[in-house]
Amino acid sequence: MNRSQYFSFRTLSRYGILIAFAVLCVTLSFLSPYFLTAGNLSNIALQISVNGILAIGMTFVILAAGIDLSVGSVLGMAGIVAASMVAGDTEHSPLVAVGAGVATGAVLGLVNGSIIAWCRVPAFVVTLGMLSAARGFTQIYNDGMPVPGLSDAFVFLGSGRLLEIPVPVWIFAALLLAAWLVLEYTRYGRYVYAVGGNEKSARTSGVPTRAVIASVYVICGACAGLASIIHTARSTTALVDAGAGYELDAIAAVVIGGTSLTGGVGGVFGSLIGVLIIGVINNGLDLLGVESYYQQVIKGAVIVLAVLIDVASRKET
Amino acid sequence: MLKKLIVTTALLLAVVAGTQAQENKKYKIGAAVYGVKNEFVQLWVKALKDHPAVKSGLVNLTVFDGQYKHITQANQFDSMITQKFDGAIYIPIDSNAAAAVVDKAVAAGLPVVGSNGPTNSDKLVSYVGSDDVLGGELAAEAVIKAMGGKGNIVVLEGPVGQTGAIQRSEGIDKVLARHPEIKVIERKTANWSRAEAMSLMQNWLTAHPNQIHGVIGENDEMALGAVAAMKQAGIDVTKIPVAGIDGVSDAIKAVSKGEMILSIRQDAKTQAQGALDVLLRKLIGQDYKPLSEVWAVYPEMPWGEGTATLYSVPWTLVTKENAAEFLKR
Repeated sequence: MNRSQYFSFRTLSRYGILIAFAVLCVTLSFLSPYFLTAGNLSNIALQISVNGILAIGMTFVILAAGIDLSVGSVLGMAGIVAASMVAGDTEHSPLVAVGAGVATGAVLGLVNGSIIAWCRVPAFVVTLGMLSAARGFTQIYNDGMPVPGLSDAFVFLGSGRLLEIPVPVWIFAALLLAAWLVLEYTRYGRYVYAVGGNEKSARTSGVPTRAVIASVYVICGACAGLASIIHTARSTTALVDAGAGYELDAIAAVVIGGTSLTGGVGGVFGSLIGVLIIGVINNGLDLLGVESYYQQVIKGAVIVLAVLIDVASRKET
Repeated sequence: MLKKLIVTTALLLAVVAGTQAQENKKYKIGAAVYGVKNEFVQLWVKALKDHPAVKSGLVNLTVFDGQYKHITQANQFDSMITQKFDGAIYIPIDSNAAAAVVDKAVAAGLPVVGSNGPTNSDKLVSYVGSDDVLGGELAAEAVIKAMGGKGNIVVLEGPVGQTGAIQRSEGIDKVLARHPEIKVIERKTANWSRAEAMSLMQNWLTAHPNQIHGVIGENDEMALGAVAAMKQAGIDVTKIPVAGIDGVSDAIKAVSKGEMILSIRQDAKTQAQGALDVLLRKLIGQDYKPLSEVWAVYPEMPWGEGTATLYSVPWTLVTKENAAEFLKR
């Protein structure tokens, strides 16, 4: 696939999903007077940051034609490890906690990636196993108890503001920019697309495919580790069931954003739109006071509809 | 163009909403519950919707489902603050994490009353709920007494790390410490689930044939799962004491048939309606008189001035003798 064709394809798919997002926002602004207030927009930005960071890592994995079902459990494990660095008597700098959380995520990701890349076990199976195992480790680590009493400096990472913008939003934005630069402008980024597009031809043209495959899971795990910092700092307590089910929202965001589940096509800005759509639906339905039973139905329908608009807009070309 | 349209619309709607608010004084109250899939929470929500103040339109009630996630609940409080809700009732998934949510809400002028599950915060207007530690104690005592103070028991616990489960376990442990002749041969979580408890109990019965003499369920659903497993294994369930907590209808039926010796009923209606009355008292002031009938139920929990920081809703022991009376309700 040549690069210009590939680019227009992606632009168009993004265009379709942008229309869907705009329609959603206009509708909600008609339905709720609070939707477009500064306070609410800041809430939405804050609320999407955890799923946003997970979705960035997931984008790398899905671009390389993989899947990672373990991010929610990895988030839980990393959160407990990070929190134990800044809880009670063991008060380190919050940076130690960030390092510990990200490292925990990266190590679990490396376990996933190594088994997938070198032992050739399907990613679905390996990460499904990790989903269960990491949750178990989380419970073992502190004997099933949550870790409360985190230091103020650490909690700032979740609830503080810099220049009126919540800290988690800064972290998310910085990571988004970095991920975009890596995917668009580095050789490694092109390798990720190449491996996802056609692994065999990538290998014959000299791409170290196994190392690339393993690396995307490390990135995804590290992202889950970083997301756990925000999640834990916002909760002010590391909860043992933190992140349960989050893998579904992350995967949904990436797919809504036009990244193909078969790999090789898509990008992080598409995922951003996907994350925004999910975040705006959750927020909007809460603002409208829609009962939770209906919320789930509406959320599912809007997700499918958004992708439908996307698919239709691609066919027109 | 699009932006202009959106801004104009928003402004128009804001004006409309503003004028409406001035006409009739309604209280916009949010009830943030940890999960509406839970049967007890469903009873609680239903009771809250039946509160006279909600029926009469004095209160405009919105129920927020936390889907068992703390962050979801925190987000919902942010939404309530943005929409300038007058007050909130909170059943948190985690008591420690909930404290920060309450701090933020109170700082933003949103008073919060806790209900059903505790919050580790002194900023709540009040807490209307039952003491889960005591609930665990009552269940354990009943089973151990029926066993004659010695033998082997198994304990079915709530979800790992969840506040309600931790507290009920604490109560059970208190009682166990007083009974050295009772041996706990298995204790494990079945996540409040009847189906999970049933599989777990089946495995335990296989591992310890004829050695289980009593079962403590931290909720009724799990106790019922254990009863079902024993029945399937051909065990006479009237011989093995089983106790559970919550007072759900199936458990009361099981008690009346002698399959369980006790269910400890937690009063969803009093917790829900009581919490709303206490919140309205805070919002309206001392002229407010409680509208719910629940204040007449327990002499040990009087309304007083409506300003107490703790309303401890008593547990009711449902036994074979009084089960029929609860089944009628």
